[in-house]
Amino acid sequence: MVKGKPSTDFLYIGKEISRPEAPDKAAGKALYIHDLQRPGMLYGKIKFSDHAHARILHIDTSRAEKLPGVKAVITAYNTPEVRIGFLRDNFALKKGKVRQFRDEVAAVAAIDPGIATEAIELIKVEYEPLPGVFSPAHAAKEGAPLVHETDPQGQPRVDNRVPLRFFHESGDLDAGKKMARYVVEGEYSTQWVQQTCMGTAGCIAEFDMNSNLTIWAKTQIPFLAQRDFNDALSAMGLQGKNSRVIVPVLGGGFGTGLDTHAYEYIAILLAFRTGKPVKIVYTRDEEFANLSPRQSSQTKILQGCDENGKLTFRHVEVVQDNGAYTSWGATYPSVMMLPATSLYKVNNVYFNADLYYTNNTYSQAMRGYGNPEHTWALENNIDELAEKAGIDPFEFRMINCNEPGEITPMNLKVSTCGLKECLETVAAKLDWKNSHSQGKCRGVGMASLFHVGGGGRIYRSDGSGLILKLDDFGNVYAYYGGVEMGQGLHSVLSLGIAESLGVRPGKVFINQTDTGTCPWDVGTHASRGAFMACNAAIKAAKDLREKIFSGAEELFPEGVAKNLKKFQEKNPGYQPPDFDIKKAATRDRFDLKDGYVFIKDAPKEPWLCMELGSLLRAMHFRDQGTMLGTQVFYDPPNELPDWNKGKGNISATYAYGTQGVEVEVDTETGEVKILRMVAAHDVGKVLNPQALKGQIYGALAQGIGYALYEEVRSQNGRIMNPNFRDYKIPTIQEMDFPIDLEFIETNDSYGPFGAKGVGEPGLVPTAPAIANAIYNAVGIRIRDLPVTPGKILSALKSKTPVEQ
Amino acid sequence: MKKQINFVLNGFEVAVAVEAHQRLIDVLRGSLGHTGTKEGCGEGECGACTVIVDGRAINSCLYPALEAEGKSITTIEGLRSIDNRLSVIQQAFVERGGIQCGFCTPGMIMSTKALLDQNPDPTEEEIRDALVGNLCRCTGYVQIIESVKSAAEKLKG
Amino acid sequence: MNHFDYFKPQSLEEVWDLGKKFPGAQYIAGGTDLMVKIKNRTIMPQTLISLRSVSGLPGIEIGEKVRIGALTTITDLIEHQELGRIFPVLVQAAKRIGSPQIRNVGTVGGNLCNCSPCADTALALLILDARVVLRNSRGSREIALEEFFIGPGESCLRSGELMTEIRLDKPASKARAIFMKKGRVKMDLAVASVGVLLEMEGDTCKKARFAAGSVAPVPLRLKKVEALFKNAVISKEIIQEAQKIAVNSISPISDIRSSADYRHEIVGVYVKRAVEKLLGNE
Repeated sequence: MVKGKPSTDFLYIGKEISRPEAPDKAAGKALYIHDLQRPGMLYGKIKFSDHAHARILHIDTSRAEKLPGVKAVITAYNTPEVRIGFLRDNFALKKGKVRQFRDEVAAVAAIDPGIATEAIELIKVEYEPLPGVFSPAHAAKEGAPLVHETDPQGQPRVDNRVPLRFFHESGDLDAGKKMARYVVEGEYSTQWVQQTCMGTAGCIAEFDMNSNLTIWAKTQIPFLAQRDFNDALSAMGLQGKNSRVIVPVLGGGFGTGLDTHAYEYIAILLAFRTGKPVKIVYTRDEEFANLSPRQSSQTKILQGCDENGKLTFRHVEVVQDNGAYTSWGATYPSVMMLPATSLYKVNNVYFNADLYYTNNTYSQAMRGYGNPEHTWALENNIDELAEKAGIDPFEFRMINCNEPGEITPMNLKVSTCGLKECLETVAAKLDWKNSHSQGKCRGVGMASLFHVGGGGRIYRSDGSGLILKLDDFGNVYAYYGGVEMGQGLHSVLSLGIAESLGVRPGKVFINQTDTGTCPWDVGTHASRGAFMACNAAIKAAKDLREKIFSGAEELFPEGVAKNLKKFQEKNPGYQPPDFDIKKAATRDRFDLKDGYVFIKDAPKEPWLCMELGSLLRAMHFRDQGTMLGTQVFYDPPNELPDWNKGKGNISATYAYGTQGVEVEVDTETGEVKILRMVAAHDVGKVLNPQALKGQIYGALAQGIGYALYEEVRSQNGRIMNPNFRDYKIPTIQEMDFPIDLEFIETNDSYGPFGAKGVGEPGLVPTAPAIANAIYNAVGIRIRDLPVTPGKILSALKSKTPVEQ
Repeated sequence: MKKQINFVLNGFEVAVAVEAHQRLIDVLRGSLGHTGTKEGCGEGECGACTVIVDGRAINSCLYPALEAEGKSITTIEGLRSIDNRLSVIQQAFVERGGIQCGFCTPGMIMSTKALLDQNPDPTEEEIRDALVGNLCRCTGYVQIIESVKSAAEKLKG
Repeated sequence: MNHFDYFKPQSLEEVWDLGKKFPGAQYIAGGTDLMVKIKNRTIMPQTLISLRSVSGLPGIEIGEKVRIGALTTITDLIEHQELGRIFPVLVQAAKRIGSPQIRNVGTVGGNLCNCSPCADTALALLILDARVVLRNSRGSREIALEEFFIGPGESCLRSGELMTEIRLDKPASKARAIFMKKGRVKMDLAVASVGVLLEMEGDTCKKARFAAGSVAPVPLRLKKVEALFKNAVISKEIIQEAQKIAVNSISPISDIRSSADYRHEIVGVYVKRAVEKLLGNE
């Protein structure tokens, strides 16, 4: 399963250890936002717009207000204006006009959800419909209706362009084009898909009588959320008041928690208005219709290679439908730049992205964050180029394979790189040469990925703080600002602490993520969780060990002397070996392992060690006693890129991988049957095999849905399939083929214990691998996701018959 | 207007007042405080609300509360043993990585229990058939199947 | 949440009484369709009359004829050994309905009365020439299942009427039938489905039944295809002709699940494959 350098003798890293929070989840004891109650809590519900684009003429809330059980009805007209979103182009409640069906026009707090729902229906809104724009092409046209007439500063807008620039140019594109013997141009598109966390979005907002806010939120960015909510408090006239963000057990994340949401600000406004805690939780259909999905994309790629198959240039243009407001979907091009400039070696690269406001839904982060979108285009195009050049697709990738130590056109500093091993592994496991020519409507395809693996500096700080507190019993309490959402962060953090400190994982307790108690962390995204947490753990453990060994210098000799006395009582006649403990008891000769402090080169006698708790009690219960703890802040060696130039080493290390698929296509129904999958990932080091496998399997399933059937269907701005009946995600039946995982350990020097981040890579190359396999099987290439049987069948019918 | 219903919940007789329009999930999570059963969609598509009624797995989000009268109902809370230990099935999910965010877990485990109670030695195909109504977005299902197989092995003795 | 009254009568007499007391009350069986409609506010009934405790409504009787009580759950139907031996295609179709959780409470009658053009068991029952018994306080009537469906969500049930049982004749020993369904994923409403029953004597077809689902306002018997097959010697050409006729007999729509074009394709392909499978030359 794991190739590369052999594991050194880690006690816990790399071993099959189950998650510490799994038993509670198995027992149904874990408390998600849906399960939390606060005394006197009210339930909030939101009234959404009836139009994609319209002026708000009048909102009549009188009947709702009179409904027994309703405690507050708010609109933008009776609350302070709260601007949200990183471009400040969005509002908690909408005033003047609505720009999409999702627009929050009013909200209600009532004593139970049923009454709140009824109250929403009693609110009557008069609209004057306006013509809408529902595609970037239309939005870009001269004279198209403006989604926003003014910018956040109140200045008039002239068009629907979003004022964000993502641009990269390196090398000499003209020269690159001239050097190319073969060139392939292609246009590829990806669809909106929904994260479909099993636990829907929600929060509980509550003010204390000093007007400080506590909010239990389904978030992945507790500290950035705190900053956002504090801005909202200022807008509400509560300057200087504080928000405390507490993260309950999350029913999934996948990027949904990387921004703050209008419903959270609405809950805050309702909580302040009523003086009571207010809970807002989305039902599944509300979530489908109103929670931002994965960003869609349109990509034009022009790529060329010389007669030997070496890439000479790459020209990329991206257009995105930004929807009515701006959230993290708008920044996907920043991540697209990574594979665009750095997947496979290519010196001359052009990348540009244009974003347009429309009256469609707007998008937020979803696992991969632009990388699956771009790799879809890139890896399809690579196969097309390889075919034109008459070179086998696997050989073509090997010719252009990245290497350790590279500095890519984007100035990304590649430390370790296991891409070659990943490609070779997939080719070998698929028996590439034979499988690629098997015919009979069966085929194989592969695609690679390149992603951040050591954090991703997209903000002024990419840091992560950790507090460790020891008690009298050798227990270690960790306060960490990163978020557990099922990916196994707490598990890997407790293993990292246990391993680097020298205690058993069972003695490590991870506290709830809470901005009131935990140190700052930018957020759990960019696959940074384990990388940050474990690096912080290593840093913290180093400090704690120094403190422990410093105390041991004084207290170890008398501690073991007591042990010896007890030992001799039980074993009369025992003679201790000749060893000067007092002399040897210096901080540089101590070690701590498995919860026991001992002198490294001392004789291995059972009494000649001190249980950590016993040492800590000795340090505590004496004159001028001490309690031990530490606080560290790990900030990785990466830089914030200049997005106008598309240059900057955004991550401390980079993850690579290759996935391969074998498919069989039913040419009469267009159905694609996946026969088997192979995934080889350069993970640096396997920290927790069970969690790692789980991440890849889960990502593969999402990649399959992305490739073959998932799609948010929108018609004139209205989402037509807001339920599981018509938005299909893979069930257990769809994952009914063998999956072969191989982890390449490149032992990265920046990675904790050598590890790289792995949360997102698993679904980045899946869709193009499937598309490449379909092409190998039946000679057709669908460039627009999802690749449905209907599209395949149409394409087969319009193609001249291929020899089976 | 409320009506009292009586049924057996996790081995104990309960009497609870319910409204005619309430669903079993409302009563379990509400007045009975058994929040282990989750509502993932409210339409019988995701299976997060699965509980066992008279030996059969059902979606409690579609089950009228008044129909619970006289039935024997098992929820995830009923699987723990008195000495605070997990049941074999729960332990298998913990040990084999069948749990990530955990939201689908109670429903998944109840469907597993319903399966193994009826069919102690299921084939992989039978496991897939039994769990097709339980959606999971995190695990990709592979380790869930391993968990079910492990539980079946252990239960067989 | 929609507030309604909910009653659990123990006998049909009680059902009629409740019907008189609460005109406009709706019947509820397993609830797997109705509860979703109520949640989405597609319907907002004031009163529900549950049929689950009414004696005599569930149950399967195998005698000269076969009677399936309308309140028989899909799971009970699937697990009935003898029924499965006599009508394997019915079990095959029933197994494709939803998930175990849905099948454990969903009922045969409820599934039919929902009148979805996608209904899986409807196709199997159509090709088995099923008849249904409808009752109200004034009496009962028996009609062919074919006549039961009027349109999507619309049946010929009169006011106060409910379906009490489904009646089937045992098929001829030589009859073989198959049900094929295409979804977007395995657990799904049908994008298109096909049911075929053939009674062969050598190469000649003595009896043929063809039905298609999700491609018309109702689950549809393909009578023109049946006419083509009756007393015909089945050849490759006949099968191709059957495909053409099948495709022309249906009127699928494009909706969120699939396009009309694709549904046309699938029905043609499935008719061919179903026949080939039944004849043993796939």
